[in-house]
Amino acid sequence: MSTEIVGVSHNIQRIKELIEQVADTGLNTLVCGETGVGKELVVQKLYERSDRMGKPFVKVNCAALPDGLLESELFGYEQGAFTGAQRRRRGKFELAHGGVLFLDEIGDMTLPLQSKVLHVLQGGHFSPLGSEKDVKSDTWVIAATNHELEGDMKQGKFRGDLFYRLSTIKIYISPLRERPEDIPYLIDYYLREYSIQFKGKEISKPSGEVMKKLLGYAWPGNIRELQNVLKRILILGDTEESIDELLQTAEDQGYSGNSNPGNVTPLVHGELINLDFENGAKNNSLSLKKVRKKVLDHVEREVIAYVLNKTGWNRSKATKILNISYKTLLYKIKDLNIDPPEGANLSQEL
Amino acid sequence: MDRPYKLLVIDDSQEILVALDKYFKKKKFEVVTATDGLEGIKLLKAEQGGFDLVITDLVMPYVSGVGVISILKKEFPGTPVVAITGWGEHPEALAIEANADMVLEKPFDLDELEQSITALLEKRT
Repeated sequence: MSTEIVGVSHNIQRIKELIEQVADTGLNTLVCGETGVGKELVVQKLYERSDRMGKPFVKVNCAALPDGLLESELFGYEQGAFTGAQRRRRGKFELAHGGVLFLDEIGDMTLPLQSKVLHVLQGGHFSPLGSEKDVKSDTWVIAATNHELEGDMKQGKFRGDLFYRLSTIKIYISPLRERPEDIPYLIDYYLREYSIQFKGKEISKPSGEVMKKLLGYAWPGNIRELQNVLKRILILGDTEESIDELLQTAEDQGYSGNSNPGNVTPLVHGELINLDFENGAKNNSLSLKKVRKKVLDHVEREVIAYVLNKTGWNRSKATKILNISYKTLLYKIKDLNIDPPEGANLSQEL
Repeated sequence: MDRPYKLLVIDDSQEILVALDKYFKKKKFEVVTATDGLEGIKLLKAEQGGFDLVITDLVMPYVSGVGVISILKKEFPGTPVVAITGWGEHPEALAIEANADMVLEKPFDLDELEQSITALLEKRT
């Protein structure tokens, strides 16, 4: 539906330039970025600007299928290759011959399948399941992922040789929070798009206050989230309260990448000082010593709760990360009142 | 006197760019630098009369060194290219596959690089 890459940020400008420069080269390309930044749109643009436009464009979602199915989906099979293979079926590599094979969510592909894909990329040929013959494929492979593959590589989850082979051209799309200058242009663009879709609906530009809120929001769900919010503004009207609610719901729906560590509230100076000026001077409530203890407790509580949540309340693991003894950790949990989440299995230790 | 050789150096590390720029200018080369592969390709296409030789890093954002070499070898097949890499064998093997004339591993000796470049330039003429 959305057909243009919109934005004025350095990142978007470079991506547009890059597409013009490399679309005709047919070099393996990797498009990365968080969920909702518009990876598929970039892939579509690469295809449209290339000399392969009009030839097949075949998309495979590598996260959607179990391993065995994905393999036969990619490489195809011969009649009788396995029970149920009643006739020959061509794989996506073959179907994309002369065109583009878009491997979406490549970061979710298992290691054995990664090596099979690598093999095709190395030699340009493969054999369908149950076949002895090699099939030659001239396919422009474009892959996309929201994983940080460099990190996955270090952890042994993604093959380095496949990574380097795929990223001959590497396009990283920054999250929206790192390029807020693009937001007004995106809003303009999508409001115009939606005015065509919602025929007859009067569409006015969001008011100054609403615009300020939209610009100030971090957009953890990126452009997809922005699109959803804009659509809902169109339907619900754009009073300030409804915007607050929309942005809040979006966060609650789990767009947020970093969940709050436990139920610890963020640091608030007023709460720490808790100063009653009427009696403040008398009861030493601004004693630096006390403030220090409070701040320390608060930070420790936040950090320990965070680590415990991350380790699924595995306290042995947590002690290693925090570099404290098991006994100290147990003491701190009790002293700082850190509660396990409901349903945590605390007997599962070591 | 003959015109000086024109080099294009592409690397995302400023340190290396500055070092190579300084060294080769001292040796009477003409040097143009680019901080990533995309800039490098644009310079390659824009340069009238072309470059005599290209030195490129391999792991870079946007267009990798392997991408630069592939595009260069397609559009300017006569221009030799030296790949420099600080990473394991994968990009190195890819650079050779893309027909890099030479692959040098970081850290390398500047004199050694100059000797190889001179040899490649002489072979070309």
